[in-house]
Amino acid sequence: MEQLTSFGMFKALQERIVSESCPEIPTIVVPAGTCGQASGALELIRAAHHHILKNNLQARIRIRATGCHGFCQAEPSVYVEPFDTFYPKVDPARMKDIIQAALEGRTVEDLLYVDDAGGERIERLQDIPFYRHQKRTLLSQNERIDPLEISDYLKIGGYTAFAGLLADNDPARIIEDVKRSGLRGRGGAGFLTGAKWEFLARQADGKGKIIVCNADEGDPGAYMDRSLLEGNPHSILEGMLTGALATGADQGVLYVRTEYPLAIRHLNNALRQARELGLLGKNILGTGFHFDISLVKGAGAFVCGEETALMRSIEGKMGEPRQRPPFPVQKGIENKPTLINNVETWANVPVIFRMGVEEYAATGGGEETGTKIFSLVGKIKNTGLVEVPMGTPIKDIVFNIGGGQSGKGGVKAVQTGGPSGGCIPAELFDLPIGYGSLAKVGSIMGSGGMIVMDENTCMVDVARYFMNFLKGESCGKCFPCRKGTQRMYELLDDIAAGRGTPGHLDLLEELALVLKDVAMCGLGQTASNPVLSTLKYFRDEYLEHIENKRCPAGVCKALIHFSINENCTGCGACVKVCPEKAIKGERKQQHVIDAGLCSRCGSCKGVCAFDAIEVR
Amino acid sequence: MVTVTINGLDVSVEEGMTILEAARFIGFPIPTLCYHEGLSPYGACRLCVVEIGEAPRSRLVSSCTYPVEEGLKIRTASKRVVQARRMIIELLLASCPQSKTIQDLASAYGVRTQRFKQEYEDCILCGLCVRMCSEQMMAKAIGFRGRGTERSVGTPFDIQSDVCRLCGACMHICPACQLRCTYNEPEKAICNACANLRPPCLEKEQYDDMMCYMDPCVACEIK
Amino acid sequence: MNPEHIEKIIADHEGRQGAIISILEDIQDLYHYLPEEALRMVARKTGQSLVDIYGVATFYKAFSLKPRGRHLISVCMGTACHVRSAPGIVDEFTQQLGLRPGETTEDSEFTLETVNCLGTCALGPIVVADGTYFSNVKRTDVKKIIHKARTGAAGARSGRDERLFPVDVLCPLCGRTLTDAHHQIENNSSIALDVSFDGKKGWIRLSSLYGSTCRESEHEMPPDVLVSLSCPGCGRNFPEKLNCIECGAPMVPLEFQGGGVLYVCARSGCMSRRISLDVPVLRAETASARQA
Repeated sequence: MEQLTSFGMFKALQERIVSESCPEIPTIVVPAGTCGQASGALELIRAAHHHILKNNLQARIRIRATGCHGFCQAEPSVYVEPFDTFYPKVDPARMKDIIQAALEGRTVEDLLYVDDAGGERIERLQDIPFYRHQKRTLLSQNERIDPLEISDYLKIGGYTAFAGLLADNDPARIIEDVKRSGLRGRGGAGFLTGAKWEFLARQADGKGKIIVCNADEGDPGAYMDRSLLEGNPHSILEGMLTGALATGADQGVLYVRTEYPLAIRHLNNALRQARELGLLGKNILGTGFHFDISLVKGAGAFVCGEETALMRSIEGKMGEPRQRPPFPVQKGIENKPTLINNVETWANVPVIFRMGVEEYAATGGGEETGTKIFSLVGKIKNTGLVEVPMGTPIKDIVFNIGGGQSGKGGVKAVQTGGPSGGCIPAELFDLPIGYGSLAKVGSIMGSGGMIVMDENTCMVDVARYFMNFLKGESCGKCFPCRKGTQRMYELLDDIAAGRGTPGHLDLLEELALVLKDVAMCGLGQTASNPVLSTLKYFRDEYLEHIENKRCPAGVCKALIHFSINENCTGCGACVKVCPEKAIKGERKQQHVIDAGLCSRCGSCKGVCAFDAIEVR
Repeated sequence: MVTVTINGLDVSVEEGMTILEAARFIGFPIPTLCYHEGLSPYGACRLCVVEIGEAPRSRLVSSCTYPVEEGLKIRTASKRVVQARRMIIELLLASCPQSKTIQDLASAYGVRTQRFKQEYEDCILCGLCVRMCSEQMMAKAIGFRGRGTERSVGTPFDIQSDVCRLCGACMHICPACQLRCTYNEPEKAICNACANLRPPCLEKEQYDDMMCYMDPCVACEIK
Repeated sequence: MNPEHIEKIIADHEGRQGAIISILEDIQDLYHYLPEEALRMVARKTGQSLVDIYGVATFYKAFSLKPRGRHLISVCMGTACHVRSAPGIVDEFTQQLGLRPGETTEDSEFTLETVNCLGTCALGPIVVADGTYFSNVKRTDVKKIIHKARTGAAGARSGRDERLFPVDVLCPLCGRTLTDAHHQIENNSSIALDVSFDGKKGWIRLSSLYGSTCRESEHEMPPDVLVSLSCPGCGRNFPEKLNCIECGAPMVPLEFQGGGVLYVCARSGCMSRRISLDVPVLRAETASARQA
């Protein structure tokens, strides 16, 4: 494609792309993000290519590999346009049936999604409960584009909003609009994006200004940013272009964690395409506006999600935070004024202008506007990415969209905000999702991880897990954070091992409160949240561990033992998997576990089909 | 000049000063461990935290890095500040009980016991030696390695650095352990300076020519 | 360690932001760890102090100062994997390989490590062996994963694999077939092209198997040159369309019988492929055919 040097050329290209697309030709859409590929999406594409080439169907059907659609539980899945048909868990051998059906305008009945509750087959994607209760403003773009093709993004109206704003050339107006939209930073604290932009715009121009996309999605259990980076990289570039236009930044940096190789490939490709087309670089669309973006890979450090640490990492140094002030917007990367927003925030920017500021601001509840993507994972039936308007009650997400618990135990809590967040008990599930509401109950919105925990999840173990994570991820610069996380871990480990005393709880709480107060950066200040929130809502579980030396959820190894009850049919399945050879018994007779040999690994419980393994 | 309120007292101080400098200038003591006048502020030990702003939105910041602002309300020894310092001292005692500096701090703040698992570490990672080496000695022989609980100070690859001039300044400034001369245990030394002094300081007739900051010095005690 | 490689990596990143981290990443990609001599060289060439570079190399988890094994097994320890029993998976690997996380077997075959979150939380517990993702892993799967890693995890690279089918392509300029039944690669007919680079001209044969990147050529090609590919039938150079997703070099289109394009990257070290079955011209034709 040739370089675009004017708005006229941009418009003409977009019109040509739209006119050349033939929406009536059926299209097989295969989500092939990292999750999809891990589940076998590439096998589906290979099978589809094979069938199409063998039967010369190239002219009659199309195939599109896209990013993630969000319903990870159903991967590898296939979606057929324009019929809106959805097939979960597809076997590559059945691709030819799906293609044939699509050609004839039919569906393949036996491959359709079956709803557990109703037991009936659901044909259309939008009728599936998982999708029906969402508002997929950002994610729905993923199924419509091949992330490797800039033309696909242009086809759905991509870069139009930016081109329009560039033509108007009114930076103050853009900032005003972003402020009016009510968009808040989707990465954690929820600072008003427009206000942040205004700070940067006000900085003197002399040295140049930098805007950064923070794609160091380090929260374990959160992957919405990955799905946007992989599935719709150009929307992030368009957001950053808009931000640059509004703030006068001339340099952009994408800071991507190295654990996301596919996202890095897609972004590099998108940057190349945008440059070739003249949407990045010098003299964009012939207007004299310059802006380019470079990609910097993180090298595996959770703390680099913190703004001041991230800036040091971009400078090629150890990612240690520093005390603010000075704030990044005053003194950032290489002492230039720097603005940092996360992936989802940038991806929301083009949506605001495409949708219209008023409509965007009307989405959501009260002061918090727009939609938020959550990664709903853990002990939940429908795991996946869920996009809902701000203000949606937690119970709608967990039960209507997520379909409730996956195992036998009921849902006990959700953990939001990753290691910096907290656990919210089921009694509070009426809580509308928002920055303020979550903070009130001792958690945070964070980047949007939502981990569902059930009766078989031990809250002491959860707190211990996060503290183990944090003590390894603390940069170690600030003494109370380095030692405080280590000491909290030791105390929690004692409690989990049955060595806890009431004094442990007091000391734990005291230390947690001080750390919140004195730590240098956000990581340390929020590191206490997992401890404080579980202590607040699940103190009785801690007390069970301490006073009765019992783990009610059956998780803490030192406090549980395994036995076999009379349900045992003597099938011997557990004997085969026991790594310690601790299970003995005659065939077709009830087996027994030698407690002395048992390492409490739980392998036997995993394979028992008769509910015969008891954990106490 | 800017006007700030420190512990209820309105004072004028020079713009660009940190809270720590201003408070000490006026005469309010603030304890520090990782701070040194000749080195860039680091803000890592958090002992120097002070409370700024007014309740309920007041917060703790490290005074060594925070610049004074017009109208700033500062409390250097509020209940919240003291409670935080006491916990930090307890953590310090739990890691490094042998340091005289830390023992003095504990006694000043009335911290008599520590409730954690006792450790005996040589280093609290305050970074004074690292900054001394790079900012004053222009050597960059030692630095931080690793992160989190794995973080430590030392030379690259743990072998003697070829840019180390054996000046001993790192040992001189260390607050955790004044007995840091590790001639007898070279593998524990940060820069191996003492082990590599030629001739070694134990040959005492040469001693007068040596630069030694140790007071008291293990080697001297041995002799 | 080859000093020339390190020099080239440093030169590639000259003057770029965060260059040290990118340089170390490239060195790590090449050697699977950071050799001491390489770090000293980076310090010398970039003028940065060794202590800073060593700090960076030990701060970030992606770097290793110890040599790693031929096969890398990473077990995800993210929250979602944790609540789905990932610790048990680590225990099982530890038992089977006799390694704790972060260690390498004595025969340098395996390195075991844990990672914080791979962002594929819905499929946990996740294990990645040499880049291949294994989802919903159970303790009983561990043996199988080790075996697969030992024998080449992807497993789908042999000519006997039925899922790898051969494709026939034509010259986009003259329409002649490029299939060469006489020159077999991976037990199948090959794709015949001519290649020229550095003033040399000769033949090249690409595997016709879907997804394969095997090839044979008359002259050995240096790893990093842009070659011109041409049709042995009409002798014309193929046009350069599209850029390679892997390396950004131009790709040339070879047409499928019946529509669609197989793109081949023209950089000798890459030559990766991409299939696109959409052909705008054909699309328009079918649209009108359907209306009729």
